[in-house]
Amino acid sequence: MSELFEPLLRPYDERRRAELVAAYMAVEHAAEPVSEVRFAALREPALRRTVEGMLALTGRTLIRADQTRWISGFRDDVAAELARDPECVPPVRERAVLALVLIHSVAIPRAAGLLADDSWLSPYPTPVDELRRRTQLPVGELDAALRRLRTAGLVAQVKAGADDAGGFVPGPQFHRLTGAARRRLQEELILAAGPDSPLAAAIRARRRGRERDEGETA
Amino acid sequence: MTGGDGAASGGVDPRVLARARVRVLGVPVIDASEPVPEGTAAAGDGERVWLLPSWPDGATPALLEEYETAPMPLDRSGQARRVLAAALRCCWTRPDDAPWPGAPAAVADVLEVYGGMSRGDADLARRWATGELRRLADTGWLLLDEESGTVRPGPRVALWAEPSLASLRDLLRRLPEPPQRAEGGDE
Repeated sequence: MSELFEPLLRPYDERRRAELVAAYMAVEHAAEPVSEVRFAALREPALRRTVEGMLALTGRTLIRADQTRWISGFRDDVAAELARDPECVPPVRERAVLALVLIHSVAIPRAAGLLADDSWLSPYPTPVDELRRRTQLPVGELDAALRRLRTAGLVAQVKAGADDAGGFVPGPQFHRLTGAARRRLQEELILAAGPDSPLAAAIRARRRGRERDEGETA
Repeated sequence: MTGGDGAASGGVDPRVLARARVRVLGVPVIDASEPVPEGTAAAGDGERVWLLPSWPDGATPALLEEYETAPMPLDRSGQARRVLAAALRCCWTRPDDAPWPGAPAAVADVLEVYGGMSRGDADLARRWATGELRRLADTGWLLLDEESGTVRPGPRVALWAEPSLASLRDLLRRLPEPPQRAEGGDE
């Protein structure tokens, strides 16, 4: 159907080629990072570089989840370009709902020492009541925003259990953040939650410094 | 900043950026006269063209099943599949052809077929199915025109490879028939 990948795949025999295609489709479409035990093209560094090359054709890159598991996500430079395109940015209501879920499900438990520092996934659901109260959105609009966020994999619903009322947690897309994207998100949350804190001042100073450096090299 | 080999201001190849955009936007639509970005698949109906992901060697995400790897989760996936099947039963009127672009069908007919496939409260089933039609339209599996009350196969259907269609044709033949309309073949 497409010649896009042909130059990268042509040098390989049929078996290798199938392994490359399987690894590519797996990291692009799986819900969670996939184990390299299952995918030869993720296990072997030379083949993995080719998977990386295939992903780069659409602006994506491999992300290592832990020692032996992989998934894909947007490259940082591509994500920055896409974020400048208003069509590619979700509407403000969806972003507001998502920010609330991140604050309740990740930032607060992390501050309490319940979550590891570098993860944006969380077992602590944000109750729907909390979203209703804090967003002040009419129920219909909140429901529509949650529906679209769920479809996009940005939030996931947790059914009510014996001990809690259920609610929403960050969705599987949060597996797909690069290290730099995770850091940026962490900084944004600090800037939003404590704009007058010393930590926020340090982040702003570091960003000013980085912009100055980039200005000089451009 | 002074150009170079087609580099954008951020240094990202504009062809790469165009493909990345297609992934972010889902199934974006362009005018048939606009160029399709290189390295993107497309499904057109004469007037408009929908941009689709391009996958290597005819693979589809169904490949994940062979590797027992869970795909991105879909809420109420069984119900979504049944509603999509009911819609195809009505829109894929010439099963020997490809399902894309298919023909428009009345939403009422799709709900009728869906009702015939499900047990229990018929009103409730229709309400669920109506929500499901919207969700399938959001994700490019169907094209829904709520004003005229019609639905058509969505551009994603064009990604199905011919060899995978046989079992789908068999399945659809076993579903309830859509209600017969007096005025046949209206567009």
